[in-house]
Amino acid sequence: WGRGLGVTGRGRAAMEAVESRELRVGFVGAGRMAAGLARGLLRAGRVPASNILASAPSDKNLDAWRESGCRTTHCNLEVLQDTTLVFLATKPHILPGVLQEIRPAVGPHHIVVSMAAGVSLQTLQRLLPAGTKVLRMMPNLPCVVQAGAMVFARGSTAGDGEAALLKNLLSSCGLCEEVPESYINIHTGLSGSGVAYVYLFAEALAEGAVKMGMPIGLASRIAAQTLLGAAKMMLETGEHPAKLRGDVCTPGGTTIHALHQLEKGALRATVMNAVEAATNRACDVAKD
Amino acid sequence: MSVGFIGAGQLAFALARGFTAAGILAAHKITASSPDTDLPTVSGLRKMGVNFTVSNKDTVKSSDVLFLAVKPPIIPFILEEVGPDIEPRHIVVSCAAGVTISSIEKKLSTFCPTPKVIRCMTNTPVIVREGATVYATGTHADVEDGKLLEQLMASVGFCTEVEEDLIDAVTGLSGSGPAYAFTALDALADGGVKMGLPRRLAVRLGAQALLGAAKMLLESEQHPGQLKDNVCSPGGATIHALHFLESGGFRSLLINAVEASCIRTRELQHVADQEKISPAAIKKTLLDKVKMESPSLSSKVSLFTNKSPSSKKN
Repeated sequence: WGRGLGVTGRGRAAMEAVESRELRVGFVGAGRMAAGLARGLLRAGRVPASNILASAPSDKNLDAWRESGCRTTHCNLEVLQDTTLVFLATKPHILPGVLQEIRPAVGPHHIVVSMAAGVSLQTLQRLLPAGTKVLRMMPNLPCVVQAGAMVFARGSTAGDGEAALLKNLLSSCGLCEEVPESYINIHTGLSGSGVAYVYLFAEALAEGAVKMGMPIGLASRIAAQTLLGAAKMMLETGEHPAKLRGDVCTPGGTTIHALHQLEKGALRATVMNAVEAATNRACDVAKD
Repeated sequence: MSVGFIGAGQLAFALARGFTAAGILAAHKITASSPDTDLPTVSGLRKMGVNFTVSNKDTVKSSDVLFLAVKPPIIPFILEEVGPDIEPRHIVVSCAAGVTISSIEKKLSTFCPTPKVIRCMTNTPVIVREGATVYATGTHADVEDGKLLEQLMASVGFCTEVEEDLIDAVTGLSGSGPAYAFTALDALADGGVKMGLPRRLAVRLGAQALLGAAKMLLESEQHPGQLKDNVCSPGGATIHALHFLESGGFRSLLINAVEASCIRTRELQHVADQEKISPAAIKKTLLDKVKMESPSLSSKVSLFTNKSPSSKKN
């Protein structure tokens, strides 16, 4: 199957490594995003914990990794020496310095995937040895529970093989799509930050129920399940959300009355504003 | 078959124009009556070749299908006046917003044991044969009577039968709907003019845009939300514009409008149901007063409240 995807020899080898669970995966930086992704991969059973190595300056974040069975180190170079697929998961402003540090250990067999918001492929390629296979991805937190939404873009030297490998691996954590680099900031506004919008909405739903007399615990669980169910219907039926919305609205019924309230509050525009604001902020941060 | 209109205003004119343009009825088979000969629509009707008279009774006598095309508060007076002339062959079609079948049947029952009454709600684009009409049949109207009306109204647009309790909502949506569209078109044209278009072109293009969009929706299986998506290129002009509409609560304004019109229709019905006829009320002078008076939300001044006939409100 490797040939059909236009995969190079090395790419195919890497793919086979994934399939046979021999791929060694590294994380430079061990914060929330990295941990979420790693936990997702582990839960999906794609990568044995012993094949994961994470580095961080202090033990603060690394304890949780060790508890999962992953290996840890304080040495970034060690990650490069020990693994093939390397996720760069440091804070964006630290990344340039880290890249300088690990540069000597980066080789043609590596696949480097940056998760750092705002650091462009151009910058990454400039700071790494020429020809390094570089990709850039943006996950979101629900990768932890295999319900993430991830996008990635490939650098000029990353080929179909690397893209296929990454997509194959990350799909175990949720939805994973390759995109042009310009979509990455939009993904941040839509889904990276979007998860928070959903939490806000869920909280408000529950509070509405509490106001009407339901206990908060029950209300929260039902709110979450409602969101989950609605999302699942969207994904499984592929139908337009407007159509699905109409399906719920009995003439003169409860739903249409409630929707009218939401429209009065210009919810749609507010949500659009939110996505726009987060996307713009991602772009601004990138420029710094 | 001949058709009569009690009332010779916008509605009668629009329907007469539509029927004749559709070729379903010759103008000379149409009679319209009104005490007021100064209405601009009266000359329009005459020019069409419609028989115009000031006698409502004449209209009734020369029609099989009788449209009551007067304003809702006048309906009771009209029924009182022409009731004695209603025969079993007549199909009485009321187009008055908010006036119930039962109120009409009740009024007519003093003159005719089994009046055939159909209530309908249409709209002005019947004039260009793109009307939206619904109808509900009364107690003594047969299936054939409904079908006859449906045939007439289908010649001037879309027509379907509904349960009577939906008619107020239809009023709010498609009855008033053309007014919402005209308002939108006026504003769209303003937008065009602001950005440099000559007014006439702006109006023409705006109208065509709405016409085309409506046609696409009617001919498509797709949800309007899907059709909207199809127009919105990522990051493009249209989505930017839509964001403005959403920010202004565009959707909720439209929902509000339909709701307000529907509620107002029900209010008017309630007002009409409370009426008490005085014999003197049929005089033209009082009809003028009724015409001039538009019941407002705040002052529910009504000729139809339970007051003694001598105290006339103004």
